[in-house]
Amino acid sequence: MKSSPLTILFLVLLFQENLFSATADRLLIENTCKGTPSYNLCLSVLLADPHSQNADLTGLAIIAVYAVKNNGYQTLQQIEALKKFHPELMAALTQCGEVYKGVVDVDVPLSINALNLGNPKFAEDGMADTAVESQACERSFQDHAQTSPMTNANKAMEDVANVARAIIRMLL
Amino acid sequence: MMASLSDVENSITTSTLPYSYAPLPNGEQPAGNDRPVHSSRKTALFLVSVFLAVASLVALFAGNGPVLPKNLNTSAVPSTAGMPEKVAPLSRGVEKGVSEKSFHPLLGADNSFPWSNNMLDWQRTAFHFQPKKNWMNDPNGPVFYNGWYHLFYQYHPDAPVWGKIVWGHAVSKDLINWRHLPIAMETDEWYDEQGVWTGSATILPNGELVVLYTGSTNESVQVQNLAYPADPSDPLLIKWVKYPGNPVLVPPPGIDNKDFRDPTTAWKTPEGKWRITIGSKINKTGISLVYDTEDFKTFELLDGLLHAVPGTGMWECVDFYPISKQGENGLDTSVDGPGVKHVVKASMDDDRNDYYAIGTYDAYKGKWTPDNPTLDVGIGLRYDYGIYYASKTFYDQNKQRRVLWSWIKETDTEASDIKKGWASLMGVPRTIVLDKKTQSNIIQWPVEEINLLRTNLTVFKTVVVESGSLVPLNLPSASQLDIVAEFEVDKKTVERLNGADIAYDCAKNGGAAQRGALGPFGFSVLAHEGLAEHTPVYFYVAKGVDGNLQTFFCADQSRSSNANDVDKSIYGSIVPVLKGEKLAMRILVDHSIVESFAQEGRTCITSRVYPTKAINNNAQLFLFNNATATKVTASVNVWQMNSAHV
Repeated sequence: MKSSPLTILFLVLLFQENLFSATADRLLIENTCKGTPSYNLCLSVLLADPHSQNADLTGLAIIAVYAVKNNGYQTLQQIEALKKFHPELMAALTQCGEVYKGVVDVDVPLSINALNLGNPKFAEDGMADTAVESQACERSFQDHAQTSPMTNANKAMEDVANVARAIIRMLL
Repeated sequence: MMASLSDVENSITTSTLPYSYAPLPNGEQPAGNDRPVHSSRKTALFLVSVFLAVASLVALFAGNGPVLPKNLNTSAVPSTAGMPEKVAPLSRGVEKGVSEKSFHPLLGADNSFPWSNNMLDWQRTAFHFQPKKNWMNDPNGPVFYNGWYHLFYQYHPDAPVWGKIVWGHAVSKDLINWRHLPIAMETDEWYDEQGVWTGSATILPNGELVVLYTGSTNESVQVQNLAYPADPSDPLLIKWVKYPGNPVLVPPPGIDNKDFRDPTTAWKTPEGKWRITIGSKINKTGISLVYDTEDFKTFELLDGLLHAVPGTGMWECVDFYPISKQGENGLDTSVDGPGVKHVVKASMDDDRNDYYAIGTYDAYKGKWTPDNPTLDVGIGLRYDYGIYYASKTFYDQNKQRRVLWSWIKETDTEASDIKKGWASLMGVPRTIVLDKKTQSNIIQWPVEEINLLRTNLTVFKTVVVESGSLVPLNLPSASQLDIVAEFEVDKKTVERLNGADIAYDCAKNGGAAQRGALGPFGFSVLAHEGLAEHTPVYFYVAKGVDGNLQTFFCADQSRSSNANDVDKSIYGSIVPVLKGEKLAMRILVDHSIVESFAQEGRTCITSRVYPTKAINNNAQLFLFNNATATKVTASVNVWQMNSAHV
């Protein structure tokens, strides 16, 4: 079977084209993450979503906000579990439950909305609010003179929210 | 293209806030959750809750809100798999509540957080413009027309957070008492489907009114649209018509689809055309594009820009207007001439502050140059050193003044806004004139109509406040106040003092608790009697090595509330004090907003304050002097402020 050299050349170029665009998207992701406070966290969040391969900056911001949402749901489950095993922490855990519900029910939809409707400033507000809420949860244990069992979870949420916020800031 | 429209629609639908975010009704117990409960259990639970409600009410002091007994909730805790749509506020911050005590033996009476209905209800203002509920942002199209002041505003009718925005509308005879009207413009066209965004009104010489506003199209492109009253003879201008040929402007080449918004009021050019400016950016340079038009339907983009400042980012809500060099009145936007300077103002998207600069306008070239390039737009003076954004002026031909409106956002959490059911205020409208004494800044002052709310004056004449002391001012109440005061530091002390390098910064120097030789001194507003919560507004005077004094004016939120989820920044700036001037301060306290003015409006600070204890009958006003070296003599007038229809 004889392959035309032109066909081979065409296929090679096609393959290279895909390679280039994949590299270019990866470059966008890497450069974007360099502008956030947690490069590695940002990379793992964005690369975990296959949509990031074809996303523009707004798309990457939306992916980061969805990561905040997922994190929020997981934290809410953790809070429910903690309530069962640590009833002495109920008051602080209840406050934490409230604020994290706020994150998934208010902050995340606000940010997604703002990114879709074309006014990223309000998306930044939503992620800034998320960071405040996670800090408020952490402090509610101190307010009750108790040790927080959620320090890692709250820090993780704050970090993801700050990554999302940093990406959104690049859109301003 | 249509495929992307439905994609966009879908994503908007799925991301819309759940409609069940109804605000907590006043005084009612929260529902707990909305899982259905069997009816026999319901009766038992009802009786138990009534008993416990009565018991806890008896145990309560000064209504922090009813306690929701814990067992009611634990019997019906929602599973996390199906998230209940309502936020289920549980115990409402009652430290003395029956159930909470057993879990927090270490707590005293100080845990008044989280937010009770009482605390949240108190936050609503008495004389600041705000819709009955839900979210507001930028003021739009302010105008005096046919005997009425009109204010339109960015409004989200569905929730107390930003979303798909429409134009809210209200009218007033006096800028203080308002009648709310139906929504003026909805997102009912493809060219404003994602939002009816900010715009301005222009009154034509024949009395006609036109509005230009930004629409965010179904594909999130920012375009400019023309609208006008459906019935110009209706003084309330209830119904509006969108020009069928919209949009009248789309982003020009080189300008991003999302960097083209907030058209200004138009002014006349020497050729007799109308001219507007629209903010934008190129990379990180904030710019202002200029368009000429004869009919508001077709526009010509001028070659150059009105002005640009590198590094300032996107310019939102650009405003451009003349001020008189000598006169005390405001000027119609079209006025020009030798006795006139021009102000360019922009809202900086990057740092959420409003900046302005005074300069000279060349009407033939369509260009403006700042008097002082080191204080250019975005890098120099701010209208206000607190929370103040998206502001817009209009020429009030009724009283020949230029009036400034601004959006004052919340600085609490979104969750609190959802709970209380509303978010955002407008600042008290201010008049703007050139500061004739300094010639290098404007002064802003609350419109005189606000004085009509003053009642019940208490005068504190010549109060000497010794170094390091606090003077309670005995007042019938302290949540709605107009405070006008003058201060004098001891002259001999100032002369004796050695000067030093002045490195004071309101935000960074520890607030009112950080003592200096000649400051801080001023008022503590919304103060609890033990100062567990208080908001100092103060002067800080510093003497330089050259013997000259510098005066700073600050508002300190760091101890404003026991809550751990509100902004506790300290705001402020230097205020020019000229020879022979006394230190003068005016403060408007209106529940969760405090507006402070120094030297008759040379420096202004707007703060949002959310106390948990210093509310209702427990809010007080103090004079304080935390300077180490000098006593301070204060003369104070305090009025109670009546509520307006807002």
